[in-house]
Amino acid sequence: MAPVRCLLPLLVALELALGPAAGQLRRPLALGEAEELAEELWEAGGLPGDLPELEPECRRLLSAFAEGSAALTGCLGRRARPVRLCQDCHRHYHRLIAQYGNITRAVGNSSESHNCAKSILTSDRLQMVVTLSVFFNETWEAANCANCLKNSSEGLSNSTVEFLDLFNKSLTCFEHNLQGQTIYLSPINYTEVCKNCNETYKMLNDLYNNLQRMNRQGGESGHSAHLCIDVEDAMNITRKLWSRTFNCSVPCSDTVPVIAVSSFILFLPIVFYLSSFLHSKQKKRILILPKRIQSNASLVNIQEKYS
Amino acid sequence: MANVAKKVSWSGRDRDDEDEEDERAGETTPLLNGTGPGAAGGVRQFTPSFLRIGQLSNVDLNEDIRELETELPRQHPNEIPHNEKLLSLKYESLDYDNSENQLFLEEERRINHTAFRTVEIKRWVICAMIGILTGLVACFIDIVVENLAGLKYRVVKGNIDKFTEKGGLSFSLLLWATLNASVVMVGSMIVAFIEPVAAGSGIPQIKCYLNGVKIPHVVRLKTLVIKVCGVILSVVGGLAVGKEGPMIHSGAVIAAGISQGRSTSLKRDFKIFEYFRRDTEKRDFVSAGAAAGVSAAFGAPVGGVLFSLEEGASFWNQFLTWRIFFASMISTFTLNSVLSVYHGNAWDLSSPGLINFGRFDNEKMGYTIQEIPIFIFMGVVGGILGALFNALNYWLTMFRIRYIHRPCLQVVEAMLVAAVTATVGFVMIYCSRDCQPIQGSTVAYPLQLFCADGEYNSMATAFFNTPEKSVVNLFHDPPGSYNPMTLGMFTLMYFFLACWTYGLTVSAGVFIPSLLIGAAWGRLFGISLSYLTKGSIWADPGKYALMGAAAQLGGIVRMTLSLTVIMMEATGNVTYGFPIMLVLMTAKIVGDYFVEGLYDMHIQLQSVPFLHWEAPVTSHSLTAREVMSTPVTCLRRIERVGTVVDILSDTTSNHNGFPVVESNPDTTQVAGLRGLILRSQLIVLLKHKVFVERANLSLVQRRLKLKDFRDAYPRFPPIQSIHVSQDERECMIDLSEFMNPSPYTVPQEASLPRVFKLFRALGLRHLVVVDNRNEVVGMVTRKDLARYRLGKEGLEELSLAQT
Repeated sequence: MAPVRCLLPLLVALELALGPAAGQLRRPLALGEAEELAEELWEAGGLPGDLPELEPECRRLLSAFAEGSAALTGCLGRRARPVRLCQDCHRHYHRLIAQYGNITRAVGNSSESHNCAKSILTSDRLQMVVTLSVFFNETWEAANCANCLKNSSEGLSNSTVEFLDLFNKSLTCFEHNLQGQTIYLSPINYTEVCKNCNETYKMLNDLYNNLQRMNRQGGESGHSAHLCIDVEDAMNITRKLWSRTFNCSVPCSDTVPVIAVSSFILFLPIVFYLSSFLHSKQKKRILILPKRIQSNASLVNIQEKYS
Repeated sequence: MANVAKKVSWSGRDRDDEDEEDERAGETTPLLNGTGPGAAGGVRQFTPSFLRIGQLSNVDLNEDIRELETELPRQHPNEIPHNEKLLSLKYESLDYDNSENQLFLEEERRINHTAFRTVEIKRWVICAMIGILTGLVACFIDIVVENLAGLKYRVVKGNIDKFTEKGGLSFSLLLWATLNASVVMVGSMIVAFIEPVAAGSGIPQIKCYLNGVKIPHVVRLKTLVIKVCGVILSVVGGLAVGKEGPMIHSGAVIAAGISQGRSTSLKRDFKIFEYFRRDTEKRDFVSAGAAAGVSAAFGAPVGGVLFSLEEGASFWNQFLTWRIFFASMISTFTLNSVLSVYHGNAWDLSSPGLINFGRFDNEKMGYTIQEIPIFIFMGVVGGILGALFNALNYWLTMFRIRYIHRPCLQVVEAMLVAAVTATVGFVMIYCSRDCQPIQGSTVAYPLQLFCADGEYNSMATAFFNTPEKSVVNLFHDPPGSYNPMTLGMFTLMYFFLACWTYGLTVSAGVFIPSLLIGAAWGRLFGISLSYLTKGSIWADPGKYALMGAAAQLGGIVRMTLSLTVIMMEATGNVTYGFPIMLVLMTAKIVGDYFVEGLYDMHIQLQSVPFLHWEAPVTSHSLTAREVMSTPVTCLRRIERVGTVVDILSDTTSNHNGFPVVESNPDTTQVAGLRGLILRSQLIVLLKHKVFVERANLSLVQRRLKLKDFRDAYPRFPPIQSIHVSQDERECMIDLSEFMNPSPYTVPQEASLPRVFKLFRALGLRHLVVVDNRNEVVGMVTRKDLARYRLGKEGLEELSLAQT
């Protein structure tokens, strides 16, 4: 690949990859602030409009759910590229699950007249709350976030943390080694990156493969074969950078020996067939003459004489 | 008629030899012409023969002239190279016709109504056991293949991954080729040296068996063991083969074994199911076993029953259908439940066959009426490619029969094919630059090779995998998983590899390779179609891969009804029935225009006397008189033991059935036909020394029972092993109790199609031709009928040969 052509995608990829890693510390803080702000607004205003059949308690549950889903949606959208869903949104997700659980469990509270679960979840055709929760659950399942979170409680699992550390380290390494160069000049020399970051990259790659293998072995016990999307995406980005953009993994292509060996093997059958054609004795079949009436010609002749 | 006249390659013969060989023949033949009918015929034959009324007369003038012309240049029997127009003497008929002798009638009379009911229940029990055991064998094959192949691919993948970084991929190639060759060597050696009949898919052999031809060793336990091990080894050895075809053979062997309640190989007799120890009963169970095999292989119980009906059974009754269906269902259920336990999700009965085509989603894969012509076109392509496959395989098989007949050479050939298969696969993967991103774990053994990290070589999914998995990948991988170049190269290479592989001395089937070739070009077709139509809605490549697979398989094996149902059941989609039927129909029509199906071709090349559904269409002019063998070796009702022994030990005329005629002391005159006795019965009689003199001296304690005959079944001792002393040779033997007193007979004027129908419908082995005084004139056997075949230029006649 010519360096000129890949300059543009490189920049984009670099930006995508490096951006969040650099700004990771700052972001969650900002988000927290925004949430608080929203909550305050909510308390003050309340829900407009009149919902006569909904009890206040139910209304509260519903609004909590709405708020939670808005927050989760926002998080999911913001963390879509590069994928940081599981790391950053798992709190929102768990909160939403809890809220949804509250709604469904609300049956016992006011069973005499209206119960919340019934009126919120199943009283219309659209069933918006159910749809939303199904959507979130499915997204979460598809992202396979359970895989990089701790089993019961919240928080990233140790292996994921380790992986992300290593990931950040290798990104930093890339960045460091590229800084010395003027990337706007056309002949970009990546050999330095390849040389210096090789170790980190190898470690990252091995760790990823290890995780994958462990996951596959544990696959029988419930989890599916995928790792969580954050890890997968991080690895994808790094691999793309490494082998596509930096062109670091140049496999030794030893075409000559391969051609030699394969042509030798392909030549063997020809020798075999020729030699067996020339030297093997052709199998002959001995014809057996059947006993048939036609061959009684001599008898017929005798018989003719008699008659 | 004229066509027959052209081909009388066998006609030159020495009558004197025959006469000397056969003392009874000397008595029977002159009668033909010497007495009344002879004289009459002699008068008649000159006048009307040119008007073709002469067929009614005993001797036809045309034939006489032809005889005299052709007799001279071919005086002595000669050796010829093997060709397709031969019938081997090695193959004999099975006795599907019950010998209804006195012993049998007595036994049947003794059995009362309830006993018959027990027999019926036993039949069902046997069918259930056939199903269970077939399913278990299928499981065994599946699991072992999965593990061994997984091991092999992991080793090779590890090696390739290692050498991709450091260089030295030629070592990986060598490793792969050596692994393949050594595994195949073992697989081929057990077949070549221990049980050659286990070679190939076994479907031709079972077809012959159900047709009524006794293929030596075909339903033995040893064959089953070799077959199962051979299949595992050849699939693990990476040959272009499948494990589905051999399942049919395995099922048949299991059925034959269980129904007999004993194993002669293991010398164990469980003393059960003795009632079923004869060819008639065994045949029914073998059809059930074949059906159970199909059902286990494809998860297609109905397809299995129809396979037995279409390909196998020449003889069928309606009771059988339900029982066979039962066996099939049990078989697929067993496979299902055992595999589900093995895969860890017990009682999830969703992997019904060895090959599972996976779900074809209705919404995505629906078809519209506009696609029907496209499917039909694919059928045409499949027919042409199938015919090409068969033609190439025909030449190859002919070469193999002629030159590569020594077991060592066969093993070497198999090893070479295995090594070349690995090499071709490796080179294709090496040269391919088609990289696809890894999506989860759909690819079993992703090979990166020269692809970027996180991608895999798309050629490797096709070559670096067991064929079954590759088929499923081609059906179900999302559009864009393969680029057209990859598919094209793969189709081309795999076509030749599969064609080269079929007919090797390894046990392996042709179903999966055909499906794979078809799926590859079908997918290619689908992709190019969507290019042509600028990404039109209905061009999902998976659907075309399925149709291509059906077309290719149909073009090669030419099965119709059963294959349609099998494909339908394997895809689990009834709506595909119509297009699959159209595709198979077209493929068969187009293919039949060029050459016949692969199985029929191999049956023909093996010189098996196979009776097709109908007599050749232009054979009405032939009569029983021209078809039959004559003179016939007859026995008298009370025969001298010495004579019997001499006749049986005569190696030149290895007859199996002997008409029994009225014992008349006057040897110049032969009296009418009284019955028919088989060689096997005579041998049992000789073995038990059932002689008149001994009976008179009351030396025989008990009368011979039907059980004595059944115990000797199916391996009757050869005549050489029976010792008859010089004194005993002078004794007399009374056959009237043991012979079948009502054999089927036809008059000499019966036409060939009529005789053929009798043979085919009743499963006869011997048909006696008599004249109007009930005197034996000739004998029609399977080989006499099977030698007429409709060839390219009309009716052809095959010659008999020693193989």
